[in-house]
Amino acid sequence: MGHWGFVFLAYGLVWLAIVLYTLALKLRLRKVEAELASLEEPAAAPSSDLPAADNAPS
Amino acid sequence: MSSARRGSTILGALALVFILVGQYWGLVKAPPDAYQGDSQRIMYLHVPSILTAYLSFFIVFVGSCLYLWKREPRDDILAYAAAEIGVLFTALTIVEGAIWGKPTWGVWWTWDARLTLTAILLLIFVAYLMLRALIEEEQRAAVSGAILGIIGFLDIPLIHMSVYWWRTLHQPPSILQPDKPPWENVHPSMLVALAINFVAFILLYFYLLSQRIRLGEKQAELRRRRLYGRR
Repeated sequence: MGHWGFVFLAYGLVWLAIVLYTLALKLRLRKVEAELASLEEPAAAPSSDLPAADNAPS
Repeated sequence: MSSARRGSTILGALALVFILVGQYWGLVKAPPDAYQGDSQRIMYLHVPSILTAYLSFFIVFVGSCLYLWKREPRDDILAYAAAEIGVLFTALTIVEGAIWGKPTWGVWWTWDARLTLTAILLLIFVAYLMLRALIEEEQRAAVSGAILGIIGFLDIPLIHMSVYWWRTLHQPPSILQPDKPPWENVHPSMLVALAINFVAFILLYFYLLSQRIRLGEKQAELRRRRLYGRR
């Protein structure tokens, strides 16, 4: 491999790793935000959505 | 869009501009080195990478000390975020060094003092990330991580001084020499290429750090909600 081959190998690997890490970070963030939103949903639902038996006084 | 998110987007855009200019300068405008030829262009990544890694582990050190002192979760989130990105930049430094070493030294790797200490730095912070992932109890993980983060940072002065203390293969710094200004050692257009790439890496670093801190905050919120329900 000539000198330019080593240069392109280094630059290629570095930017590939940085792009992959940035994308992975975005995906992890999106996943956590989706989980937080899913925890939010049942709490935001009105209590009338619950089955009647659960609401009935014992 | 919140002001923090807007700031992060601006940082990302600025980093991209500097990266593009830096790559052009490093690959096209800067002349080849008189002895090393074009493979010296790898230095425009290698030097900014290790300096960014040092900065990152300094932030781990500060965040860890603050966490042990004040027990504020935000300091732990900062240290954890910086450790992860520091590992990325240290690993990149070693890979770039190996690719530069093959045409220059004739080997991908040698057990030189600086190389070995840098590999130890990487291993310490990989251990840090493993420790954080394995300990389930949040506070224990944070305290253990903080102690290891402080110990790990102490390797950096050793790495810096290793080229003076042990005369092995890795050369002493060309730019930060105490007795000579950098322009006496390095061609000005090489210095410009290095400076632009250094700024690009620092901007990229703070962009990634802001994103990773946001992830850490959301993860902490998720854990809190799972433990205590909605508050």
